[in-house]
Amino acid sequence: MDNKQSAVVQGTLDMLILKTLALEPMHGYGIGVRIEQISKGVFQVNAGSLFPAFRRLERDGLIKGEWRATENNRRAKYYALTPRGRTTLKRETRDWEAQTAAIARILGASLGKL
Amino acid sequence: MLVLRRIISGFRRLFHKRQVEQELDDELRAYLETATEQKMSAGMSRDEAVRAVRVEIGSLEVVKDRARDVGWESVAESLWQDLRFAIRMLRKSPSFTAVAVLTLALGIGANTAIFSVVNSLLLRALPVVDPQRLVLISSGTADKRGNTTAWTSPIWEQFQQRSGMFDGAAAWSVDDEQLNLTQGGGEAERVDGLFVSGDFFRTLGVPALLGRMLVSADDVRGVGAEGAVAVISYRMWQQRFGGAATAIGTPLVIERVPFTLVGVTPPEFFGIEVGRSFDVALPFSAEPLVHGKDSMADAGGNWLWVMLRLKQNQSREDAAALLHGVQRQVGEVAIPKSLPPEVLQSFLNDPFTLVPSAVVPSSLRRQYTRPLLTILVVVALVLLVACTNVANLLLARASARRHELSVRLSLGASRWRLARQLLVESLVLASVGALLGLAVAAWGSRAIVSQISTSVSRIALDLSLDWRVLAFTVAVTLLTAILFGAAPAFRATDIAPMGVLKEHGRNASGARGVVFAGGLLVAQIAVTVVLVVAAGLFVRTFTSLATLHLGFDPDRVLLVNMNSGRASVDPTQRVPLYERARDAVRVVPGVADVALSTVTPVSGGGMVRRIEVSGGVAVPSTFLNSNGFANVISPGWFSTFGTPVIAGRDFNDRDRTGSVPVTIVNEALAREFLNDANPLGHTVTIVGGPLPQMEIVGVVADAVYLSLRQPAPPTIYMPLAQFPRPPAMLASVSLSVRSSSASPVALTKSVAAAIGGVNPDLALTFRPLLDQVNASLTQERVVAMLSAFFGALALLLAGLGLYGVTSYSVSRRQAEIGIRMALGAQRSQVMRLVFRQSIALIGVGLVLGLTGAAAVTRYVQGMLFGLTPLDPATFIAVPLLMIVVATLAVYLPARRATKVDPMVALRCE
Repeated sequence: MDNKQSAVVQGTLDMLILKTLALEPMHGYGIGVRIEQISKGVFQVNAGSLFPAFRRLERDGLIKGEWRATENNRRAKYYALTPRGRTTLKRETRDWEAQTAAIARILGASLGKL
Repeated sequence: MLVLRRIISGFRRLFHKRQVEQELDDELRAYLETATEQKMSAGMSRDEAVRAVRVEIGSLEVVKDRARDVGWESVAESLWQDLRFAIRMLRKSPSFTAVAVLTLALGIGANTAIFSVVNSLLLRALPVVDPQRLVLISSGTADKRGNTTAWTSPIWEQFQQRSGMFDGAAAWSVDDEQLNLTQGGGEAERVDGLFVSGDFFRTLGVPALLGRMLVSADDVRGVGAEGAVAVISYRMWQQRFGGAATAIGTPLVIERVPFTLVGVTPPEFFGIEVGRSFDVALPFSAEPLVHGKDSMADAGGNWLWVMLRLKQNQSREDAAALLHGVQRQVGEVAIPKSLPPEVLQSFLNDPFTLVPSAVVPSSLRRQYTRPLLTILVVVALVLLVACTNVANLLLARASARRHELSVRLSLGASRWRLARQLLVESLVLASVGALLGLAVAAWGSRAIVSQISTSVSRIALDLSLDWRVLAFTVAVTLLTAILFGAAPAFRATDIAPMGVLKEHGRNASGARGVVFAGGLLVAQIAVTVVLVVAAGLFVRTFTSLATLHLGFDPDRVLLVNMNSGRASVDPTQRVPLYERARDAVRVVPGVADVALSTVTPVSGGGMVRRIEVSGGVAVPSTFLNSNGFANVISPGWFSTFGTPVIAGRDFNDRDRTGSVPVTIVNEALAREFLNDANPLGHTVTIVGGPLPQMEIVGVVADAVYLSLRQPAPPTIYMPLAQFPRPPAMLASVSLSVRSSSASPVALTKSVAAAIGGVNPDLALTFRPLLDQVNASLTQERVVAMLSAFFGALALLLAGLGLYGVTSYSVSRRQAEIGIRMALGAQRSQVMRLVFRQSIALIGVGLVLGLTGAAAVTRYVQGMLFGLTPLDPATFIAVPLLMIVVATLAVYLPARRATKVDPMVALRCE
């Protein structure tokens, strides 16, 4: 499993965080774990990347933080998607799909198909 | 929108710093706790879980730092930190800071000073509406020579009638002679007059500050509706009326003609020619009133300049084409039929040219463009020398701070962060220097203008700061900061922390530092050599002009200009009047000699003639269809000026109208026209002149006529009493008075009284001949002075730089020198050791500098006199001077090195 780990593609971490939060509001550590779970351990994100990303998204008004109690009755800052965040996620998902599809076509191209 | 949100959130973070930090801490702690709990619920013990989380996260401070770095505010904040740190560091070493700041203040100040003069003389547009649409009408041939054309009143009227083809036309004339102004029975004052067309102010778009400006109705032959009216400048209003609004409507008497003051121009309107301000503006129609019988307008003289305002979207070419279309009509109407047909023909053959006039061409600009740009290059080079000095100081400091920088690198500062810190320090130094420099510049530019301004030509320049000067200073400041700050900053980035830390604070600097400092020194010496060579050439030019054999003795001669234009004297009786004035002055105590003439030497004016000498060779024309100069004088003129009569005789009182026409020539004329044969007995004819042949009765020594730069031209002198005089020509003559012992200026009062006794209506102006000669050398003197000052400054800076670098390297090698001396090295050997390092640098610098100087001095050839751009004396003396300075700068630290006590040096280890 270790050799399958890879760094999050530059610039996509924000999109992954938004997607995670689109499912349900979540605290910082939970977001990291969720990304790791869904990607089946391919992406491991640490606090050093998460915290600046939270700052960035919060500043741009895409997510909103709120202190709440966890299931173990501890206080943690939960992040939730704002309406603006939801539209941004939609747009970015669409752009990303278009791009990956194009890249896949290029990588799969052979002379015969041209 | 997003940008705005980012800016606001940035400010929120800056202002609620503690709250934001607290929240970050809380969040991070919560993160840690949740992480630990999760790991424990997965089966780890608490200790294991805590350790695992720590490993995953790494340094908490780094995480926080990265979170903080998200917005722009973190950059602003760290810059602010850098700034405070820089100021702290600079305050910790006050002597270094003082030297650097002063050096930069001088360098930046000199540049700003020269630039603000360049700006106001060459760049600043006329203070009027939309000056880019103004063009001056000139003739093609004048424009090719870089001159502008003056036109006659009838030609201006033709342009005026057609001003509808453009957005208006304006004309003006500046009088060389000042006007006499009295007001309210006060004392008469000499003021600078400006004659303008009626719609001058409207066309230029100059509004009245107070009252009204002149209008077309004022410019009506005779007098306008409100009588004769005048407008005064802001300066005059302040000085004479104390800025009182009641000034409007005040009666003024100008040259005995009553005027009414109707308006004041705004403060920024200095006039129209740069360098020449005005006090009173009068409509053209008032010129005949003021000048009386000597009216330029009535005489049909070329006395006014014409400017057009182009329409929006009208190109200069279009406007010129329009003018060419009407040139024939203009010429046929405006050029008097009484003139020979060639005059009209040459007018038609010389098409109108339009010269862009946002910055009006002026003689001052023509004269000073090259010198000023040369000096601007000089001060730029001085700044370069200053920069290398500061760079060397900073390099030495950076080496001393290697320990500090290494510690910061080891603690995790990035190299870029360190370099930025050093650059901010440089910027602080440069900015403080620039602020001081602005003060230096304000003083310096005024000093320069007061040097350019003489009693002969009064110069007024608006030197107030404008955006151009400020932009220039800011640009120069940034450039200098980068120039001298880059080297130390780069060096700081290639420190190996471990190596430096192991040195344990000792300042062993790598070989690269020495090479770098050496390179800077070579450049500095080379640039200094170029500057000193230039200074040498300009100073030698000035001294050779100032000590030039003039052919007359300028000390102790007072020139009195007598103008009879406004005296009630019949023009035919002018010469007898002047002679009576001369006779009255002759008996004034302290007067040794006195004589009359139409021209005085180097006055800026002259009389040229086409001359033929009987039995001589034909000499081709050199200037304006002439081959010689002339002067009309009274007996005793040569003894007054101290010009020796070499053969024959001076004029005497018997040389009058009716007697045989006679003339006196100079040696240059004998040389050129007669191949050095004895001119006595030959006759001179002036081609096209009214006089018959004149017999040569005397030969005088050559004397400078128009300019010190021109060798004495062939000159003929004619007796005033024999001169057939067109009335306008003799409206004014010069009375030259030689004092017997005291300064000629002391005679002013008694001479004025004597002349006033003859006729109180003669207008007099006084000027010592020496002033007139010196004034003709103003440009050379200013250039020599400035280049010598900056050359000396560069020499001083280069000497200091060499001294600083040598003493620094000596102090670093103290231990080594101590060991050498302990092992038996002699003082001379130590001395040689120190010198050997510097000699190569100095040698390379000298060679580069001399090569550079040889390459560039030919660009200033036109400004030199009596020497070539490769003047051997200068090119030998300058390297010697440089060697003396350099030797001194190295010798002092070297001697200190030999005084090192080996025991002390070794104990330092």
